[in-house]
Parts: sequence; structure tokens; C-alpha cells
Amino acid sequence: MAESKDEIHFESSECSPASTSPMGGKHRYLFHRLCSSWDKSISLKGRRIFHRDVEKEEFQYASSHCLTSYYSVFVVRLAIMIMLAILIGLLTILTWHFTKIYTTKSLNSLAYGLRYELLQRPVLRMWNILNSTSEITTAQVKLSQYVIRRYSNPANQAEQVEQLYEAMRAITWSLFASRKALNSITINYKNGFVQAFHRDLKDNNTFYIYSDLANYSMGASNSNEINSFSTHQAWDDKALHGNYSAIWYREPLDPVSGEKIGKAMKIAPEDLINIAGFSQVPDGVASWHVAVSKFTDSPLLSAALPVWDSSNKTIMAVVGVTTALYSVGQLMRELVELHSGHMYLTSQEGYLLATSTSAPLLANSTKPKLKMAVDCEDDVIRHGAEWLQRTYGNNFPPSHEVHVENVKLGHQRYYIDSFFLKLKRLPLVGVIIIPRKYIMGQVDERAFKTLVILISASLCILVIGCVCILILTNGVSKEMNLRAELINQLEARRKAEASSNYKSQFLANMSHELRTPMAAVIGLLDILISDDCLTNEQYSTVTQIRKCSTALLRLLNNILDLSKVESGKLVLEDAEFDLGRELEGLVDMFSVQCINHNVETVLDLSDDMPKVVRGDSARVVQIFANLINNSIKFTPSGHIILRGWCGNRNSSVGSPNFHLDQKKSRSLQKCREKPNANHSKKTSLKDNKVILWFEVDDTGCGIDPSKWDSVFESFEQADPSTTRLHGGTGLGLCIVRNLVNKMGGDIKVVKKEGPGTLMRLCLILSAPMDVIEQQCAVDLTENGLVVLLAQQGNMGRLITSKWLQKNGVCTMEASDWNGLTQVLRELFHARSSVHNTDFDAHYPAKEELKSKLLNIRDMRNPVFVIVVDMGLLDLSTDIWKEQLNFLHRYFGRAKFVWVLNHDTSNTIKMEIRRKGHVLMVNKPLYKAKMIHILDAVIKERNLELQRKNMTAPRMKEGDLHEFLEIDSTHFEAASSDDSDISEVGGSNHVSADGDKPVEKVAKSHPSSPYHMNNSLVNENEYLEEHNMGKEESSSPSSSYGTEDNQPKSQSTKESSISTEDQDEDSECGETQRVTSSSKAVDGKKSLEGLKILLAEDTPVLQRVATIMLEKMGAAVVAVGDGQQAVEALGCMFPAEDRRRESLQKGITPYDLILMDCQMPKMDGYEATKAIRKSEVGTGLHIPIVALTAHAMSCDEAKCLEVGMDAYLTKPIDFKMMVSTILSLTKRTS
Amino acid sequence: MDGIVELQRQLIDYTASLFHEGFLDEQFNQLQQLEDENNPGFVVEVVTLFFEDADRLLNELTKALGQPSVDFKSLDAHVHQLKGSSSSIGAHRIHRVCISFRNSCEEQNVEGCLKNLQQVKHEYSLVKDRLETLFRMEQQILNAGGSVRR
Repeated sequence: MAESKDEIHFESSECSPASTSPMGGKHRYLFHRLCSSWDKSISLKGRRIFHRDVEKEEFQYASSHCLTSYYSVFVVRLAIMIMLAILIGLLTILTWHFTKIYTTKSLNSLAYGLRYELLQRPVLRMWNILNSTSEITTAQVKLSQYVIRRYSNPANQAEQVEQLYEAMRAITWSLFASRKALNSITINYKNGFVQAFHRDLKDNNTFYIYSDLANYSMGASNSNEINSFSTHQAWDDKALHGNYSAIWYREPLDPVSGEKIGKAMKIAPEDLINIAGFSQVPDGVASWHVAVSKFTDSPLLSAALPVWDSSNKTIMAVVGVTTALYSVGQLMRELVELHSGHMYLTSQEGYLLATSTSAPLLANSTKPKLKMAVDCEDDVIRHGAEWLQRTYGNNFPPSHEVHVENVKLGHQRYYIDSFFLKLKRLPLVGVIIIPRKYIMGQVDERAFKTLVILISASLCILVIGCVCILILTNGVSKEMNLRAELINQLEARRKAEASSNYKSQFLANMSHELRTPMAAVIGLLDILISDDCLTNEQYSTVTQIRKCSTALLRLLNNILDLSKVESGKLVLEDAEFDLGRELEGLVDMFSVQCINHNVETVLDLSDDMPKVVRGDSARVVQIFANLINNSIKFTPSGHIILRGWCGNRNSSVGSPNFHLDQKKSRSLQKCREKPNANHSKKTSLKDNKVILWFEVDDTGCGIDPSKWDSVFESFEQADPSTTRLHGGTGLGLCIVRNLVNKMGGDIKVVKKEGPGTLMRLCLILSAPMDVIEQQCAVDLTENGLVVLLAQQGNMGRLITSKWLQKNGVCTMEASDWNGLTQVLRELFHARSSVHNTDFDAHYPAKEELKSKLLNIRDMRNPVFVIVVDMGLLDLSTDIWKEQLNFLHRYFGRAKFVWVLNHDTSNTIKMEIRRKGHVLMVNKPLYKAKMIHILDAVIKERNLELQRKNMTAPRMKEGDLHEFLEIDSTHFEAASSDDSDISEVGGSNHVSADGDKPVEKVAKSHPSSPYHMNNSLVNENEYLEEHNMGKEESSSPSSSYGTEDNQPKSQSTKESSISTEDQDEDSECGETQRVTSSSKAVDGKKSLEGLKILLAEDTPVLQRVATIMLEKMGAAVVAVGDGQQAVEALGCMFPAEDRRRESLQKGITPYDLILMDCQMPKMDGYEATKAIRKSEVGTGLHIPIVALTAHAMSCDEAKCLEVGMDAYLTKPIDFKMMVSTILSLTKRTS
Repeated sequence: MDGIVELQRQLIDYTASLFHEGFLDEQFNQLQQLEDENNPGFVVEVVTLFFEDADRLLNELTKALGQPSVDFKSLDAHVHQLKGSSSSIGAHRIHRVCISFRNSCEEQNVEGCLKNLQQVKHEYSLVKDRLETLFRMEQQILNAGGSVRR
């Protein structure tokens, strides 16, 4: 619902500007937008449904579908838009119509009234005039009758006529005077005599007009005329005007009194006023007509009445009265002035009687004549009359009433109304022409204005509404876009997650595949190592290769684990490990790489570092491997120092580190899948948290300070060109930071002096309480050691010397051959001539050196150790032999330790060895190696001393040197005797009393990192001491003593079950050590005496495993499935009591069970559960090792969950299996 | 004597080719190492066991896939067994096919299963052929009085 509404808005907003916009481009753009928005909304819905699977189809679908939908939707929107426009327009028009028409109507009716009223008034006036005229006329007639009757006696006719005329004149005057509006009164007697009064309105004169009396005798013609009259019954005007040719006189009178004020004058006939004659009253009734006269410019209304004699038989005279219509025109004018417009009165024939204008009414050509209305000089009236005539012609409506509106006359519109005044003898037509503007002008104007305002207002509303909607829907569309984007993002994220899941799945599946060839490589190397015909150097090379392969395998596993880190599933191991040893191994490894780079790798660990810590050794090593690798990459020359020291210990109670501890414990809680999580937690409670600080310091190109933070981001490199120069993906530091953070630490780049980079990181690891104290077992101070360090690398030498000095060992340094010879000379020559006073003069050494020399001189029975770097010798020519000989001179007086390069040629080594120098170490020289060197030296000396004491208890002190020399030669002889054997001393020694497999094990013995690191433990010495007799406390077993602690503590559950290959080394080493120690008992079969139950359904595997185990001397019982395995256990104890009995004796039927996980009938998990269940309450725990083809740690977790102790992956690795079994059985036994 | 040396060289070459072509992996080496005086003919014994086992399993698989409604669970179990035993003798290629076979089982993809079965059978016949040849060559050497162990 809401959506459809939205769409309508959309439409209206999008369409209206589109339809109004004249520009095609914009139009197209809007259309495009319109469509695209629609498309989006479609694809939005579509995407939700289809996106997952049919992305491509959807695109096609949308593109084909969208065109038709574009148009239909466009049309629909247009239609709705138009409807909206129509609605608004209709509203506007309606509003306008109602306001306008209503007022017009009411105004029209009002106007009609007004017009009627206006017209009525002049008509009324006309009527009045007519009335008064007729009254006057009637009065005159009555009076005349009376006068005539009085004076109609025939006797005295002459006087009577005189009197009659006199009387008539007086009466007439009085009447005329009484009525000012009268124009004239005439009396025309039967005999033709005329008496008349006339008022000239133009110049306001009054005249008395009469005809000549002399011509008429009343008596003479009276009878005649009466007869004729009576016969003809009519007079005609001819007689009056023409035939009689009477003479007219005019007397001006005083208008008020009627007195004669002037002389009577003759007047011309044409100047005569209208005299009513008999012709006007032919039938003896009153007649009306309109007349014109010279004297007025307005038409006159004249009435004529006959005066009858007493018998009413004959007409005695005719009385005529004329009235000017002037006043009507005046009234009209007044009215029109008030109301505007025009009025006129016409006779029925169309002659103008009165107008509201001052235009002349009479056509004054020769004789005044009435005008037709159509000839009027006033335009409006003329046009009006013309229009009326044109429209109606002669067919006026019966009543002559016309009401017309909106007549266009000229340029204006007028109302025309006409009324018909029906008088008996004088019908009149009144016409009023009122300009429409006068009445409707305001209304029209208002209506127009209203219309304009309405239209503009509605347009404004339309436009504003459209704009508003546009803005509104813009927001809506924007929001929809955003929402679509969001959905896309979510989809993308889901896909990314899915793909990363696939990736980890893939990696998990691949792990097995990847590990197999690696295992093959390692296995082949093992075979090679066990080969007898290898020289020592080849042997060490192969060992190195094996080590690198192991590192590669470790890397493989790390890649696997990193995919775990990314998915947040990384679980840190929590096992004890020797941090120092790991780091030493690391430095050893990298120093090989560094040879080509001319870079010195130095390990500088402080003494307070705990030897054994808890944590994930592989990860720690990985951290440093990455860091050192990084440093090597960017360090062309100089040195790389890995420093380590211990932060404040016992910090678990300290508040500043509390949150770190919390973090740590949280991360511990997180690792549910972790083997024996609760166990490790328990131990961690006992443990001390230790903050270990490390620095990796190199002299490389350094990192720009602005990049110090970003280098830890993934795929981030300080300088893009580094990829080109050094390769790499920029992942290393990211992994490092992740791991460090995971361990509750932090890493950052720290400012350092000089070129290069200094990375500082801290790790929080726990150190087991009991192991912390046993470090630096050798006490160096008491033995009077003097160490001469002749090494090339400045940093390494400096650090070693500092450390030695700190431990109370006197050191001297030399950086090149010359320095070495000088120091040697000083040391020994000065010493041989104890009181050499020239010493200072000859050797102007530094004060420091001098004091050192003095110190040494004071030392009682010092032991000199000279550490010689192979790099000091000139190996390019044969000079090195001479150098060697030179050094050899001091052989008796000092112990030489040779620091070999990895590429030191065999001949040199042979030569050195031939000369009896047996202490050799590989570069780099670090603390642990130094300790062992010194340890060996001290032991040797003690041995010598003891021997000396035995052979010559009271030897003089001065003989010491000699004795030492003798001893050393003896040593040399002894060693040279079996120098050949010494190459393979270990194997020979073992092969003397052992057979092949053990030999192999013993052979691979040095391959363990421990032995690599301490490769100085040379076989010669070992042999020597071994031969010397076992009564010595420094027997091999005790020399291994310190290490033996370790495997034991390590062979706890959690370390042995970890199947990670990186543990393989230590495991192997451990196994071999165990083997070698068990060698003392048997020396042949490490699993001798163990009873092992093998539950495996695949006959092939069963056979292989059986043979493997039997080869190691174990007794194997193989069963086909879990059911049988449980039964095999059970049948040993058929009865509960017997079982308990045997338990009390501590006898278990089998020492160990190897359990395949997937078996028919009852699988390994079930079987293990059953076995564990049966063990409940007995305190018995048979170690069960799982065999599975799955390489994933989740299987491991599952195995451990059901109660298995360890875990082996198929195909079974021989060594792994043995070591696992041994570690488990050792613990139980 | 030269004949024996020649034969021995052939054997070594042939074995190397087997490794090179991926028929066998390092596990087979381990097997060979396990063979000694106490267990003469151990490799042959184990491989024969494998052949028997594999024959049985392949029959089972063929039968299971021939059913109208395939029981993928049992199918998977069989393949798993085959995978385990093949990896134990180091028959690497069978092992590899088994992995994809199991994936098909998990997807319940009958088509894929059939395809994989064909492939397994093919690989199996190849390996069987190769190994039998290998053993024959060893036997020849032994018969000629030479030693097969390097």
C-alpha cells in the first residue's frame, strides 16, 4: 500500500517537470531517472528472491522486462498527472464561476431595476406634460364655449364680436400666463379669425398674435361660413394659410402683466407659429401631435380641441395648446448625469422627441423638421437606434419592450432597454442605453482579476506541490537506493562470509593433501639422514633442509590456522615450552639466510627471562619469524638484534595489568575446543603471568613515522615499491599483530636512533612457578674464566661480552686478525714474563685493556677461552693455514672455540679438528651456546684438575702450565686416534650395541633443534668422558640432566596430544632422548613390553599398524571394530571382583588402545565412551589414541571430548605414533 | 649378475615412475621399510589385503549405487574405508578420488557418485596392474638371486 502510494508521488513528481520541460535532454534524463527508479524497485524485490542463485538471469530478465514496463509505467504516471492537473483546473474554474456568475446575476437584476426606473421617470414626466397640456386645453375649451355662448347673440353682432374677442383674449391670457410651460395657446374661430399667445423661449418674449380683424365680419360671412361649414363639416388649413392670405400681427406683451408693450407688427407667414385649425379636429375630438417650430429647438407637443356651440352641433372655434418637450430632455440629462448612459424618447415612427444629450433634435435645413433617431448626431444614440432597427426592424415585440445586454456599440458594450408608452394618440418609445462598464465594469474587472489570481495561485500550488513532491520523493528514492545498497552490501557480506567459509573448508580439505607431500619430503630427508655415507657437512646440510621443511610444514599449518584466525576460530595452545630454545632455533635458521646479506643476526635475551613459559610456542615463533623475516628483507647490511627481557613479574596482582590478565583469561575461556582446557586453566592459576618484552632492531631502510600504524594493516606496505624490490604480500605484520593481540600483548614501531626500524612488542605468557628458578645453571664467576672474543660482528661481540662481564667473566675483544694477535701477544707474553716492565711501553694499550690485563694477571689459575670467528681468517688464500698455526701455538694455554660459518669448507674444519680443536659452534654465537662452551671448558678443566690431583696430588703450582700442555697433547692424541670415527661418533657408538632402527633414531638425534642449537656438544668430548669412566659426576646422563627435566614436564597430556607438526621436532627429540635413555635398558625396541590393543576395521591398516608396533617390540592384539575392542577389554575381567582385584594390583590388560574412529558396528567414539564408562570408579585410565583420517582439529576436539587421550591422523606416521605412545605409556607407568 | 643389476635398475626406475605419476606416495615407502627378516613379504601381504578389501568395497559400492534409492550414509562409510586403506598402502590416486567421492556422497549427488565410482575403479585397476607388475619384477629379481632392498 505504502509502496504504491510512493509510486504515485514519484510519478507526479517525475512526470510533471518532464512534461513541462521543453528540453529534450532533460526530458530524457528524467525519463531515464524515472525508469531507473522503477527498475531499482523491481530489481530490489527481484534481488531478494533471486540474487542468490540467478544473478545473471536476473540481469537479462530485468533488461528485457524493463523496456515494456518503462513505457506502461510512464503512461500511467502521465495519466495520473494529467488528472491531477484537471482536478486543480476544475476547482479553479468552479471557484471563479461561482463568484462571478452569482454577482453578475444579482447585479444584472439590480441593473434592470435601475434601468427601468431611469426610463420610467422621463416617461412619467412626459405623461405629466401631456396631462397638463390636455388639462389646459380642456380648460380653454370650456372657457371659450362659455364666452362664445355669451356673445353669440346675432343682434348686436358687431359689438358682440368685439366684446367676444376682448373677453376671449383676456381669458386666454390668464390661462396662458398661469402656465409658464405653455408654448402657445391659439384660438381659431370659425370665421378664420385667430387669436394666439406665444412665448418665445429663446429670447423670453411673449407675443399676442392675431389676424386682421377688418377682413372678417362676423356677421357677413357667418351664415355662409356656418353653412359651408356645416356642409363641408371641415375647414382646411389652406383656407387658413393660403387662400385667405390673412394678415398677421404680432404684439409683444409684457410677460407678466399682459400689457401691450410694443407696436403690433405684421409678420411673415413663414414666421407664424402653428395655429391649430379645423383640420386638426376633423371628427370633432381632441387630437395630439408633435410639432416643430422655428422658435424652439425642441419638438413641441400640440393638442387641439374643438369648441362646440351650445347645441353641440357646430364647431365654433378650435383651441390649440403647444407645450415644449424641453423639460423632458432636461430631466433626461439630469438623470444621465447622475447615472451615465444615454436616453431618448421617440415616437412610434422613430422620430426623436427627447434625448439626454444636447444634440439638436431637429433637422434645421430650411424648415424645422423632426429627426429620426437613427439620424441623431449623438453616436451612441444613433448606434443604439441603428442596432435596434437592425435587430428588430419593424417587427418589434408586441409590447415594444426590449431588454438587451452586451450590445456592442462602437467599442463598448451597452445595455439597451426600451419601453413603450401607449398613449392613445401619441404612442412613445423610450430607449435607455447604459454602458455595461458602468454597472458591470467593477464586476468584470474583479472577475478578471479573480480569475487571474486563481489561475496563478493554482499554478503556483501546482508548481510548489510538484517541487515538494520532487524533493520528498527524491528523499524516498534516495532512501530506497540506500536500502538497495544496504541489501547489496548485506548480500555481498553474506557471500563474502560464505566464500570465506568455503575457503576455510577448502583449506581444511586441502590440509591433508598439502601435508602429505611435505611429510614425504621430511620422511625422505630422515632416510637420507639415516644414511651412513654422509659426511658431517652433508649431514648438517640435510639437517638444515629438514629443518626448513619442517618450517614449511609449520607454515602450511599456520596458513590453515590463519584462516581460523580470520574466522575467529583460532585457539591458542597452552603448553609449556622453552622460549629461549625456540628463539635460538629461529635465529639459527635466519642466520643462514643472512649470510648472503652480510647481516649479523644477534640474539640478546636477558638472564631474567623465564626459561620455560606457557603458551603457544608455534605462534610465538611465528611472530618472531615474521618480524625477523621482515627485517632481513629490508636490511641490506648491518645487524638484526632480537632483544628480550622480562617485564615486572608477579604482575598478576598488579592493577595496571589487570585488564590484560582479564583479557587473557577471557581468551582462555573462549577456547572450548582446546584440549584439556580446564586442565590448563587449573595450571594457569598456579602460574605467574609474565610480561615479556621483545625488540626487533634492524639497520634497514626504516619505516616512515607516518606509516608506523598502518604497516600492521593487512596488505599494507610502507612503500609500494617494496613489493617490486622485496616481494611479499604485506600480510606478515598483520598476522603478527593479530597474534600478539591475541596473546594479550601489543606491538608497535618505536623511534630509534640511527637508521632502521625498532619494533617493540610485549607478550603476556605464564611461567610455571617451579621452573622459573632453574636458570643459568652454570656458575661462571668462580672459575676464573677469561674470554677473548675475536669476532667480526660488532653487535654480537658487544652483547656477548657485556653479558659475560655481567656474569663476572673477564672478557677481551678483537674485531680483526691484527687485533687478535695483538691481544694474544699481550696476554700470553706478558703472562709468561710476569714482571715484564716494558709491557706498557711496548703495547700502549688503552687504559681499559690495561686494567683488564692487570686484573687477569691477578687472577689465580685463569682459564683462557678464545673464541675465534672463522671470518677473521683469510680464507681466500692459503694464509689461513699459517694463521691457524699461529693460533695453535697458544693451544695449550687456552681453549679455542671456533665459530664456524655455514659455508666454512670442510678442509678447514678437518684441519682444525686435526689440530685437536674440538670446540666448534656454528654462527651465530649467543648466550646459550656460550654457556655450553664455558660449561664444557669448566668441566674439562675440573676433569684435568681431578686427574692432576689423582696422579700428582702434590704438584707445584708452577707446573700447571706444563701439565696442561701435556694433558692437551694427550687429548689431542686421543682425539686424533678416532678422529675418523668422530665424524660418526654417535652412530658408531650406538651401533656397537644397537641395531638398525635404533641407529636411525640415534642418528636423527642431532636433528632436534636442541642438539642443533647446542651442536658444540661434540662427540669427541662425549666419547672421551664416556670412556674416562662413569664414576664422574659429569657423565652423559647428568649432562642431559637438565634437559631430562624438560621432556618429563613436557610429556604431560596436553603437549603430547597436540598433533601439530611443529611439535614434531621437539616430540622427536624427546622420543629420541627417551629412546636413548631407554637404550640403557634395552637399546633396541622402544615399545618393548607394551601391550597394545588395536581396533581397526580396515585390514590393510590393521596389518600395517600391527607390523609397525611389533617392530618396536610391542605386543599387539588387533580387533576389527569397537564392539570387539570393548569385549577384548571386558574379557580380561569377566567378573567384577576379579577386575577389582586386578586393579588393586595395578595391572591393566593393555597399556594402550589405538582406536580407529570410523568402524562398523561400534565406532571409535562409542567404544571409547563405553570404555570410559566402565572405568568410572576404578581410577583406571587406559590411554586411548584415536586414529582418524580427518585432519581437522574439530575431529580432534571430538576425540578428546569422548575421552580419548591423543590423536593420530592417517596415514600413520611412524615416529609420531611411537612418540605419542611413549609419552602416554610413560606417564601411566 | 649384470642381468640382476639391470633388473634392479628397472625396478628402481619403475618404482620411481610410480611415485612420479602419483600412484604411490611416501606411505608405500614406510611399508617397504617395515618389511624385514621378521616379516618377509609384508608389502605383498598388505597390498594383497588391500586388493581383497578394495574388491569387496567396490562391489558394495556398485551394489549400493545400483539401488533405486541410494543409502548415502553407508556409501559414505564404504568410501571412507576405501580411502583409509588406500592411504595406508599409499595408493595416492585412489585416495584422492575417494575424497571427491565423499564430497559427492555428502552432496547426495548420484551422478557424481557414479562418476567417481567409475574413476575409482579405473584408478584401482591401474594401481593393481602397476603393483602386480612391481611385485612380479621383485619376484624376478629374487628368483635371479638378487636383492630387492636398496
